[in-house]
Amino acid sequence: MTPILETRGISKSYAGIGALRDVAVQVGEGERVGLIGPNGAGKTTLFNCILGLLAPDAGSVRLAGDDITSLPVHLRARRGIGRSFQRIELFTESTVREHLLIAERVRRGNGSLWKDLLGRGRPKADELQACDAVLERLGLGELADEPIEQLSLGQGRLVEVGRALMTHPRILLLDEPSSGLDRQETADLAATLRDLQGEQGFAILLVEHDVEFVAAFTQRCYVLDFGTLIADGPTAEVLERAIVRESYLGSVKRDDL
Amino acid sequence: MVLATALGEDLSRAFLQGLPPGSVYALIAIGFVLAYKTSGVFNLAFGAQAYVSAALYFQARLEWGWGILPALLVSVFILAPVLGLILERLIFRHLRTSSSVAKLVVAIGLTVAIPSLFDVLVGFEPVAGQTPTGIIPGGASVFYQPVGVYAFSRDELMAMGVAVVVMLGLAALFRFSGIGLQMRAVVESPRMTELNGIQADRVSAFSWALSSVFAGLAGVLIAPRFNTLAAPDFFNLVVVAIAAAAVGRLISLPRALAGGLGLGVFIAFANTFLPEWALSYPILAPIQDNVAPAVPFLVLFALLVLWPAVRATKEQADPLSGVDPPPPSLASHERSAGLTVATRVFAVVFFLTVGLVVFTQADVSWLFLVTQSVILSTLFLSITVITGLAGQISLCQGSFAAIGGFTVFQLSDRYGMSVLVAALIGAAVAAACAALLSLPIRRLGGVWVAIATLAFAFFFDAVMVKLPWVGGGGTSLLQGTRVPRPTIGPWDLGNDKAFLVLALVVFVVASLAVIQIREGTTGRTLRALRGSELASQSIGISPARSRVMAFALSGFLAGLGGAMLTMHQENVNYTLNFSPFAALFWLVLVVSLGSRTVEGAAQAGAAYALFEAIVLRGAVFGWIFRNTDRIPGIFPISPKWRFIIFGLGTIQFARHPEGLVEFNTRRAHRRAEALMARLGRSRAASPPEPDAPVTEESVP
Ligand SMILES: Nc1ncnc2c1ncn2[C@@H]1O[C@H](COP(=O)(O)OP(=O)(O)OP(=O)(O)O)[C@@H](O)[C@H]1O
Ligand SMILES: [Mg+2]
Repeated sequence: MTPILETRGISKSYAGIGALRDVAVQVGEGERVGLIGPNGAGKTTLFNCILGLLAPDAGSVRLAGDDITSLPVHLRARRGIGRSFQRIELFTESTVREHLLIAERVRRGNGSLWKDLLGRGRPKADELQACDAVLERLGLGELADEPIEQLSLGQGRLVEVGRALMTHPRILLLDEPSSGLDRQETADLAATLRDLQGEQGFAILLVEHDVEFVAAFTQRCYVLDFGTLIADGPTAEVLERAIVRESYLGSVKRDDL
Repeated sequence: MVLATALGEDLSRAFLQGLPPGSVYALIAIGFVLAYKTSGVFNLAFGAQAYVSAALYFQARLEWGWGILPALLVSVFILAPVLGLILERLIFRHLRTSSSVAKLVVAIGLTVAIPSLFDVLVGFEPVAGQTPTGIIPGGASVFYQPVGVYAFSRDELMAMGVAVVVMLGLAALFRFSGIGLQMRAVVESPRMTELNGIQADRVSAFSWALSSVFAGLAGVLIAPRFNTLAAPDFFNLVVVAIAAAAVGRLISLPRALAGGLGLGVFIAFANTFLPEWALSYPILAPIQDNVAPAVPFLVLFALLVLWPAVRATKEQADPLSGVDPPPPSLASHERSAGLTVATRVFAVVFFLTVGLVVFTQADVSWLFLVTQSVILSTLFLSITVITGLAGQISLCQGSFAAIGGFTVFQLSDRYGMSVLVAALIGAAVAAACAALLSLPIRRLGGVWVAIATLAFAFFFDAVMVKLPWVGGGGTSLLQGTRVPRPTIGPWDLGNDKAFLVLALVVFVVASLAVIQIREGTTGRTLRALRGSELASQSIGISPARSRVMAFALSGFLAGLGGAMLTMHQENVNYTLNFSPFAALFWLVLVVSLGSRTVEGAAQAGAAYALFEAIVLRGAVFGWIFRNTDRIPGIFPISPKWRFIIFGLGTIQFARHPEGLVEFNTRRAHRRAEALMARLGRSRAASPPEPDAPVTEESVP
């Protein structure tokens, strides 16, 4: 079966300093895969190459078998790559609901200037319902009308997840969604994601420093170190191997914002 | 052989001729880069700083009869650094963590405010055709011919000499002095330097003072080349400096130096060879006069669009910004339904009253001003769209408006077309031009968009306006760009009151359209893009497409406004209405008062047309006392105060981009609601203050 996401031989260097070397990952349909590694290993860089925010120096990205390496970011997103950001990226001066609403509208392709001018560009009841349903499930129902600036960092991350979900992704790239959340909230997020995944069948590629979260949530896992993949396999096995390397785990634990 | 020598001679003459102005360009380019590198401020007000020194030098020499040295000392070595220090200490130091676009807006406000403030304080009046002589006796009359082909005037030699001395001085400063070393650390390191707060403040203050001295020197050196000492010419100068600095990608001092010299020489080449080519290729003839002054703008635009390195240059964040805590974030605030109704009722009553008074009482001149304010409000909606909604700074709205105006003129002048139809066509043409312009610059970052549009505005000003099919129709030589007032069937809108009604109708329709767009998908998309381009792309929004759309819309509104203005004044009046410098003030007004809302645009329109008449000329007292004789003696106040007040009003943009009016309205609403809540002992918790410091937990 073709994997939903596949990278082949991705390399990327910043001003001569290699951040990724020949990285190949595969994520199957509906799979939950982890991507771990110490600070500066290149995890975020890989995400950026997959979504197209960065052009890799070499290598290709395939989505459900199609080569998307030369597509611009927004077309990749429309084809089904959803993403949350490590350095949180929210729409300032908008409410929580508006974050989801705009994603919903873009997905439906409801945006012509003429419709706006004729007053048909206002949000429709079913769109609002769809947004509110997702907000409820993420536990943000109460905050729907809050300006985004009022939210805590953890809540902001949940909004990012919700916004990505509204695009009905086929694969969701999550960059440290748990930082800023406490244990309980992390567990809730994991449960919600699992449920939604069961319903919608998207795959998840998860970058996390919280090893317990990775262990509990993902089925398979890649380990990236200094831009090179050093291990992959079923999560439990990989973590077994990694735990041997004390020094490495020490740095994994460090929460960096 | 003979031909080759002649060509060689031309080349070397042009080269030598280009060096003196090139040295001055290099000075400003370096000063500009210094401030940019140490504070992240894209200091458009640099030209204003140069103007102030040049004007004081002028005043001291010509009005007060001072000698060269004391005048130079006071204007360049005292006034300039003091001004730089004031700007740094009072304004830009507090904006360290603001976005580069916010800083740019403040700098634009200062560009408008500083020259007027100086003029008012010193009592300076430009005298047509008069500029001071240079900084050496006999500067323009004594010539030397060291190389043979070209005779340098003393002024020119002086300019080159000063440039050389200054460069050597700067190099020595960087190498040998403590503060110089620290500055160099900031200027040369791509990352944040390890300075503590006090050192950072010192470096930043010193750089501003130094940069300001560069501006002052350049101003004094270049002034003799102008016909009349006026602020707009110095604004052109800063665009030249930016072009030179862009050669060094705004980060390298030596390359800025090379860029300045190169640009001077390049312009000299253009001046030498374009006329010759125009002789052999008659097609070039109409543009040859105008292309040479436009060279810097063309170079700048081409650099931005064609040179990937410039495009890729990340915007300079303030290298010292890590020293300060981040600014408080904005918070939007919804007002309650009751309050909304109350405000609406009040607004309706207010406008009906004003309307009634205007229609029954106003004389011709007041009618004119009121109509103008309504038309400008329509025009300013174009800024609401591009800046308020799309978050981009466009400095060529004047050109778009002029395109609307000129289209009306051309179509009615050449083809006798109905001006109303022509106005719609004009708006469409302006929209098309705006969309075309936005295509090559769609990938540029915030500040670069502003600069590219500024380059376009100057290009339009220098070249396009003079083309026969733009600014010169069949009759323009005899009658200027005259345009008739429209008629609709039996109604002759030549009547001022009827035209006011038309203007109001257009404004209301345009406002409704803008509101629909803002609340619709387009507005939401633009807002998302303004909030985070990364995240917008990640949900499938195409930034390029949205930007082009925003530019087209904005161009349409600007063109429509320009066409209306032209019909109202029955003339395009390009220089008065639409020149790049004049259009800067539009942006300043809209941003000061509120770029997000239709109300903001309306208030800006009113402020432009009516503030001077009502406030500065004291008419308001005439109304209060019902007697114009009782207007207090201090009126009329200089109209320049408009520029000062609203120019300085942009300073709040960094903290409150929603604008003065909206900020205060929200605050008033909040207070009113808190009061009502207290009176009604309501359980509703009062909403938090927007400027309350955010906790660390909050979203950055
Ligand atoms: N824009 C950039 N310019 C230069 N170097 C960069 C840039 N972005 C990242 N790097 C470098 O590339 C390497 C990989 O960074 P990346 O952010 O991908 O790591 P990461 O695995 O996501 O780390 P973290 O766990 O801290 O998020 C690091 O050494 C980093 O310093
Ligand atoms: Mg990362």
